[in-house]
Amino acid sequence: MSNENITKEEVAAIFPKVAETMADALGCDVEKVKLDASLIGDLGAESIDFLDIIFRLERAFKVKIPRGKIVEDARGDLSESAFEQSGIVSDAGAARLKSFLSEVPADRFKTPLKSAEIPKLFTVETFCKMVIRQQRATAAAGGAKPA
Amino acid sequence: MDGHFQAFTFVNRITAIQPGTSVRGNYLIPPGIADFPQSLVGEAVGQLAAWGAMAAVDFKCRPVAGLAGQIELLSSVRPGQTLELSAELESVDTEAVSYRGEASADGIPVIRLQNCVGPMMPLEEFDDPQSLREHFAVLCGNGSTLGGFGGIPPLAFSRNGGELGKSARATLQVPASAPFFADHFPRRPVFPGTLLMNLNLQLAAALAAEIPGRWELRTISDVKLRSFIPPGEQLELEAKLDACTKNSVTVIVETRKEKKLIGGARVSFAPGGNS
Repeated sequence: MSNENITKEEVAAIFPKVAETMADALGCDVEKVKLDASLIGDLGAESIDFLDIIFRLERAFKVKIPRGKIVEDARGDLSESAFEQSGIVSDAGAARLKSFLSEVPADRFKTPLKSAEIPKLFTVETFCKMVIRQQRATAAAGGAKPA
Repeated sequence: MDGHFQAFTFVNRITAIQPGTSVRGNYLIPPGIADFPQSLVGEAVGQLAAWGAMAAVDFKCRPVAGLAGQIELLSSVRPGQTLELSAELESVDTEAVSYRGEASADGIPVIRLQNCVGPMMPLEEFDDPQSLREHFAVLCGNGSTLGGFGGIPPLAFSRNGGELGKSARATLQVPASAPFFADHFPRRPVFPGTLLMNLNLQLAAALAAEIPGRWELRTISDVKLRSFIPPGEQLELEAKLDACTKNSVTVIVETRKEKKLIGGARVSFAPGGNS
């Protein structure tokens, strides 16, 4: 699923609600939730926080967000074995990730990149874009209009 | 009897189940125990939801305590009462189950849980999948043996500091062995999050009692359990006053092992009667 046509305006429109949702989940001040903040590195999120954030975003935006959705969308039509082998993201997989996570500064992509470390790349904007994609998917399926 | 499906099991029978969608059941609080705190009523609802979730994924995974958005404490219960339990599974897959649920006793609502999420873990790490399948069949049939829970054993929990009306601190020495570890869980003993919550609530109530007025526990929100607690761990609990008005007192409870945050919640009190 492409994200090239997600505009800055679209991201800006939902960012305040995403930031508020994340601040509630992480128990931090909303001012700390910047668009380019890394969830793990800057906001101290743990795996249970990711789960919390996903479910809160689902309720806040009335969309369904399947677990593992970001990586699944990044992988696109690459097979799992072409995307990663033995826990290491392949060159082709890394290229897909860099393109898909275009909001993440290039220097945050390690080489080699362990699959388990992909969530360290995610920023607040990554989640904004995920919500927008799911809003579009919901609308395309004839569901509720974006909240 | 080794305590499995007895020592910390709070569902006697599943009376109706729509796979992956909803489940109803009941539990007789053993008449001989001293008390049955509301946190264990919440455990009973969570266990019912867990059976529904495990059945939905063919017992490949099991949920563990994680998140509870809001828990309304509506009334207390007595030993000897039968809890009527229900859980609606909002979503379930091999990553997580989200659900809401209720319990009532003698037709009176006891507890209501909303926006609960349990991370799903590989079942084999915690228990024998086949024995769980077999016990699930028993629960869906005539039900299990009654009276296995012998009450909460004494826990080494002592208040050790704080500031009057503003904060309260306590230490919990999790026992190295206890009957509930045989059931929670046979292959990986974990101190139950609901027992920790019970102690958090006691500490929050002790802090609320230091504030003028008479305060009754009403709601627990934003419950988050971040780590498993193995036997023998020493934990530091803290309750901090977050807000106080004439209509409510809100307390933040947090549990740490050394500096690492293990869990937390927001506890709300409302004015009680007979002040």
